[in-house]
Amino acid sequence: MTATTIAVQEVQSLCRRRVFAAFVGMLVAVTVLAGIIGWSSHNTIVRVYDEAVGLLATEGRAAPPNPFLQVPPLALLSNLAIYLPLIGALMAIIVGHLALADDQSTGIGRLLFSRPMTRFGYLAGKLAGTATVVVAALGASFAVGIAALRIANGYFPTADQVGRLAGFYLLSWLYLMTFVLIGIVAVLLTRRRSLALLGSLGVWLIVTFAMPQFTSGLRPTSSLNPISDPVSTSQRFFQITAQARPLSVSEQYKTASAQILETTSSSLGTGPVLRIVPLLALLGALVVLAGVLINRHDYAEASSDD
Amino acid sequence: MTDSHQRIVALARHEYRAAVRSRVLIALLLIALVATAASIYIAAVDYRSQLEDYNVYLQAARANGIQRVAPSPLRLLSLLRGALEYVAIIGAVVGIALGYLSVTRERSSGTLPLLRSRPVTSGELAAGGAIGAFGLIATYVTATVGIAVISLGVVGHGWVTGTDVVKLAFVYLAAVAYLGAFFFIGVIFTARSKVAANGLILALGLWLAVVLILPQIGDTLDPDNQVPGGLFAALNVGKPHENLILSHFGTYETIRTNLEAASFEKHFERFAFAMTDVKDKYASFSIGHLFVKTYGDVIWLVLGPIVLSIAYVHSFRRPTSPTRGANP
Repeated sequence: MTATTIAVQEVQSLCRRRVFAAFVGMLVAVTVLAGIIGWSSHNTIVRVYDEAVGLLATEGRAAPPNPFLQVPPLALLSNLAIYLPLIGALMAIIVGHLALADDQSTGIGRLLFSRPMTRFGYLAGKLAGTATVVVAALGASFAVGIAALRIANGYFPTADQVGRLAGFYLLSWLYLMTFVLIGIVAVLLTRRRSLALLGSLGVWLIVTFAMPQFTSGLRPTSSLNPISDPVSTSQRFFQITAQARPLSVSEQYKTASAQILETTSSSLGTGPVLRIVPLLALLGALVVLAGVLINRHDYAEASSDD
Repeated sequence: MTDSHQRIVALARHEYRAAVRSRVLIALLLIALVATAASIYIAAVDYRSQLEDYNVYLQAARANGIQRVAPSPLRLLSLLRGALEYVAIIGAVVGIALGYLSVTRERSSGTLPLLRSRPVTSGELAAGGAIGAFGLIATYVTATVGIAVISLGVVGHGWVTGTDVVKLAFVYLAAVAYLGAFFFIGVIFTARSKVAANGLILALGLWLAVVLILPQIGDTLDPDNQVPGGLFAALNVGKPHENLILSHFGTYETIRTNLEAASFEKHFERFAFAMTDVKDKYASFSIGHLFVKTYGDVIWLVLGPIVLSIAYVHSFRRPTSPTRGANP
């Protein structure tokens, strides 16, 4: 039995449980939603601007330049950088959780390891299977995103725009795989499924809401808006916590996404490649941790479905 | 106290003790409280600095014999915004986890059939469980309010007044009702699922839609949220002109408002933000006037938990099947 067999079995299992369809459906739905929101709000703002110009003209006041003139075409999908870390990451946790929890609670794990197969091969197969599912879901979202840009902007995206969108999805794939691994590691650390799921959720809450609060003073709802007001971080508190800002992977993801999609006009210092380094380091650490834990894991112990 | 009351109290105590023994629940509560403390500390330090600036201005004005000085623009309770957002987001997860663990604990330990073999009615079981869970929720909200009030006083040098205490009491009740609704959702979804983890996933899906997605869509569609600092500020357009312009976008605003209104979380947020002066327009209102302005949100906060509690009680009347593959 090889890692490929495990990977194929994992994809089939997620298809049978309709998790695969749910994942693809969710990401396609949020892409459509992001497109509609982007198109609708952009149109409204342009009309608001036109009305404001008219009103200011009646008072003899000069109108400021249209704040949307410099907005790039890919800004239409800027909400995706919010939805993917929310919905995508939670779905990724569930995919990672199910990948190992089912084998553990149904006893399939014990059966599998009665065959000539290494633990490393098992983990590699599981990672390949879950990675395929995440790639497929993001690929469907990418295709819908291209279609949304074509419809809303009235022309097919240029090669540069398609490349930037592909770069954003590659970054998102890395981000989601981190949460797949968090789901896997949580299952290996606990005996009850509920603890594994809630533990993963706790990590997601820390990464998504608590870390940005500590390192940048971003309130939870500020983290949910692609455009957030700058926060004063001159306090001594931030002089200390800002040192950990590169480790706040959700912030780095959001900023790198804005840089790749060119949805921000202001200079954001560090380039997107350097911003991905902490994410890659976390991903690598989680792979190593999962490898160590799976080698030590006792599949003879039954685990609870609860 | 009747026998029935004694049984309910015993069940409530059991529920509370069992919940605080859950490490994962305590971990979630700690995440919420630490994030809350950080958000209030940051806001309180800013407040102290602004208060010092205002006091310097006040002293200078008095020294120059100026009788009429501008009142302080600072609003102490508005510093609780971050804390309220944490209650709304992470607190709701705690509520769902509490409900989920309440069902799975009895299922996996096998105590539910034992309890049912005793002269305990399903109504007493439901009441005991709910009282114990609400006790834990009340403890969490008390800790949040306690951290907030002490931090504002010690760090921000701003102590709450009598009126503030009354406003905080109403926010406290709203928070308990809001989190209680999520406890009911956790129980209902878990009790109806053969595999408990699937119930948890569905409940979390609902949480995601109600707490994060719907309000986010509403916020993102708000024209004023499209530009850092606000669109109308960027256009140098005042409030009267803003209202005039927005009046031409009635359908758009109606859709946006209704999307927000579909979110239970938004009703809690609107009520709590109004009571804590987060929104400028409410700063000068009396408590009675605030209730008049937010009566729709109050109705949601009262009716939501009541409707869910009916479904919660109903879930105790259904025969419970042991979870597939559960360990004794």
